[in-house]
Amino acid sequence: MGARGVYAGLHILELGAGAAGSVATRYFVEQGATVLRIESSARPDFLRMLHAKPGEPVDVDAAPIFALLNPDKWSVALDLEKPAARALALRLVDWADVVTQHFAPGAMETLGLGAEQLLARKPELIVVTSSLFGHTDPHCHDPRLGGQGAAIAGFHHLTGWPDREALGPYGTITDSLSPRYVALLIAAALLDRGRHGVGQHIDVSQIETGVYSLSEWIVRASANGEGLARAGNRQAGAAPHGIYPCAGDDAWIAISVFDDAAWQALVAAMGSPAWAQDARFVGALGREANQADIDRALAAWTRGESAYALMAKLQAAGVAAGVVQEFRHLLRDPQLAHRRHFTTLDHAALGPLPYERAGFRLSESPGGFEDSGPLLGEDNDVVLGEILGLSEDEIARLAAEGVIA
Amino acid sequence: MLAELRVLDCSDESGFLAGKILGDLGADVVKVEPPGGDRDGRRPPYLAGVVDPERSLSWLALNTSKRGITLDLERAAGRSAFRRLLAWADVLLDTFAPGTLDAWGFGWDTLHAEHPRLVRCAITPFGQTGPHAPFRARDLVVVAMGGNAAMTGDSDRPPLRCTMPTAYYHAAPEAVLGILMALHARAASGRGQQVDVSLQETQLSTLLGGPGIHGNVVPPPRRCGARTGGTRDVWPAGDGHVSFDLRGGAARVPALGALVAWMSETGDAPEWLRSQAWEHFDPNALDAAALDRLEAAFGAFFAARSMRELYAGALARRIPLAPCNDAREVLAQPQLRDRALFTTIEYPELGAAVEHPAFFAKASRAEIGLRRRAPRIGEDNDAVYREAGFTREEIEKLAAEGAL
Repeated sequence: MGARGVYAGLHILELGAGAAGSVATRYFVEQGATVLRIESSARPDFLRMLHAKPGEPVDVDAAPIFALLNPDKWSVALDLEKPAARALALRLVDWADVVTQHFAPGAMETLGLGAEQLLARKPELIVVTSSLFGHTDPHCHDPRLGGQGAAIAGFHHLTGWPDREALGPYGTITDSLSPRYVALLIAAALLDRGRHGVGQHIDVSQIETGVYSLSEWIVRASANGEGLARAGNRQAGAAPHGIYPCAGDDAWIAISVFDDAAWQALVAAMGSPAWAQDARFVGALGREANQADIDRALAAWTRGESAYALMAKLQAAGVAAGVVQEFRHLLRDPQLAHRRHFTTLDHAALGPLPYERAGFRLSESPGGFEDSGPLLGEDNDVVLGEILGLSEDEIARLAAEGVIA
Repeated sequence: MLAELRVLDCSDESGFLAGKILGDLGADVVKVEPPGGDRDGRRPPYLAGVVDPERSLSWLALNTSKRGITLDLERAAGRSAFRRLLAWADVLLDTFAPGTLDAWGFGWDTLHAEHPRLVRCAITPFGQTGPHAPFRARDLVVVAMGGNAAMTGDSDRPPLRCTMPTAYYHAAPEAVLGILMALHARAASGRGQQVDVSLQETQLSTLLGGPGIHGNVVPPPRRCGARTGGTRDVWPAGDGHVSFDLRGGAARVPALGALVAWMSETGDAPEWLRSQAWEHFDPNALDAAALDRLEAAFGAFFAARSMRELYAGALARRIPLAPCNDAREVLAQPQLRDRALFTTIEYPELGAAVEHPAFFAKASRAEIGLRRRAPRIGEDNDAVYREAGFTREEIEKLAAEGAL
C-alpha cells in the first residue's frame, strides 16, 4: 500500500475470525494503515472455509468472502497455543498502535493477550474487543452466532410481511452495523491518544450496536407501549410506498411518495389515468387509508415498464424511485462506477475480483486498495524478518517447531 | 472522547443518528432547525398520541446529547448568520441535496476558503457528484438501489426492506468515521476536508462481498424468505419466532446433537432423528423430502413451545438459538439489562419517563453515551449564538426578522 491516506504509518494488529472484525479494520487499510492479521493454520478463520463442501479438503486460500473483506492486509500464521508464538504475538503488540480482537470473551485472556494484559504492557495501546453481547456480560459465554444477534436486537421481528413470519434483512445486520462502530471508536481513540498520549480498552457488543441503532423503535415501545412490527414495505406517513413489479423476470422498482407534489408528479408520469383522479387519493391521509387500492393500480402500470427506464422517467419527474438492484446490477451501476466503488485486484488463488470501498470519500485523502486479501501466512517472512528482526534460521526453526503454522 | 469538538448538525432524519453518535462521544453537537421546529424530523408518532412537535418520539430518540437552535436558512439573514456559525464549528454535518450550498453562494470550495479548518460531512442518497447524484431517495429506494432488498423477502412476493430505516443506521456510523478520519488528517495538516457520504454506497457492505461472490453467478441468486441457501433459519414458536440455523458446517454439529438430545428428553424425537449421524451432516446435500422431514420435526418442537422456554432451554444446552424479539422483549432482555444498556430520561413537562438505549460501547477512558435529552425547539438559541460571538442585539434582530 502506498504512503497516501490519513493513516499511513498506523499499525493495526487484528486477531479473530469472521466478517465483523475484518470489515472494521478494512476502513483503515483503505486510508493507508498497515493491518496485520495473526492467523492459524490449525484453526483458520471460518470465513476461509465457508466455500468448502463438507467432507472435502479445504483450500483456506480460496474463499472469496475472506479475500474480499481483507484487501491489502498482511497475514502471519502463528499457533498461539504455543508459548513461543504468544511471545512473538506480544512483540507484534509492541509494534502495533491498535489491537482488535474479535473472539469469545476470555479466549485472549487465557493466552495472556487480553485487553488489560496488553494495556499493562503498553499503556498507549488502543485495544478494541468485540463480541455478540460484550465482554463484561455475565452471560457472555452463551453460545450464539451473528444471525441470533440480529434476532435478539429486533431486526427479524421488523422485517417481513405482517401476515407471515419474521425474516430479518439479508446478511447479518449485526455483522454489518457493529464493525462501523468498532471503526469509529478506533478513530475516536486515536484522536484522544493524539491529544493525551494514552491508549484505552473499548468493548463493543454487536447486539448493543444493533439496539442502539434501533433507538427510535425502543423509545416508541417504552413511551407508548407501541409494538411496531414488520409492515412489509409500508411506511407511516407515505403512500404509495412499496416495491412494484416491472417488465421482465423478477424485475422490481421501489417507489416512495411522501407528499402531494410527488403524488401529482407520479400521476402525471403515468399519463394521468382515470383511476388516479379518485377523490379518495387526494391528500396524504386519503392515500394512506386507501393504499392497497393504489398499490394494485400502480403495480398494473409498472408491470408494463422497463425498470431502469421507469426509474429515469420518475426521477426526472421528481419522484423517489429506484430499481431493486441485484448483485450483478451493482457491478454495472454507473453511480457506483463514478465513485470507483469497485477495484479489481488479482488474487493468487481466485484471480481478479471486485473489491469494495467504504461508503464515503474524503476530498483530500482519496485512499484505496492495491492488493487482494492475503493467503494464510503469506507475510510470515516479512513480518517475522523485517518487523521482528528474526533471522532466516530462526524462522525456519520456529516453522519446524510448529510455532509458525 | 471528543470533548471540545463542535458540530453543527443540519441533518434531516437520514443524519440524526450520526449527530447523536458524535454527541454520545462527548462532542458539543448543536442541532439546527427551521423556526418553529423541523416539521419532517419531528414526525409522528407522538408521546401519548398528543400531536405536538415537542412530543415526536423519533425526534426525542435520535437527537439526544445535542443542543438545539433555530435558524431560517431559506432567508438571506439566516444564511449569513449560518456562515458566522460555521466559524464557531469544527464540523458541519448536513444532508442538503447536492448543489444546495452552491446555490446559496457558499459551496464547498468557498466554505473551505473561508473556514480552512472546517470539516464538512454531507450525507446524501447517492453522493455529491455522478449520474444519480440528483436522484431523490429515502430509505426504501436506497435499500433497493443498494442491493439488500433484492435478497430480502419471500420468493413469491416483492422484495422487502426492514420496517425501520436501516439505510440510515448503516450510514450514520460511517459518516462519523469519515468525520473522525478528516479530523485525524486535520490534526496533522491544519486543514479540513469534505466527507462525501453516499447512503447507497454505505448499504453495499451489508452484502458482505456479495457482488464479488455472486455477481456473475447464473442463474442469479434470489431471495428465499426465512431461509439461507436451502435451509430455514427462522422458525415459528408458540408465541413468535426463534432463530436457529441448520447450516454452519462442523461448528453446528454439537448444537444439532444437543437439540435432538433435548427433543429425546421430551419425547419429541422420532427414532429416525435420534439415529441421525450429525458428524457429516450437510443440509445442502439433502433432497427436498429429507429436508422437509427434518424441518417438520424441528418445527413441531419449536412451535409447541414459547420463545422464552426455547431460549432458556437452548442456553442451558449451549444451542445457538435466539428469540426474534419485539421492542418490549428487547427492553426486557436480561443480558442487556445486566449491562445497563437502557437509561430512563424524565420529561417532566410532558409527564413522562422513557427508556432509551444509553450507549453503543464501553470505553476505559471515557463514558460513552447519552448525556442529555433531545432539545426543545430553539432551546439553546441564546447560549449558542452568544458562544458563537453574536451580540444580544444581533440575536434580537435575527429573532425580530423571523430568522430564528
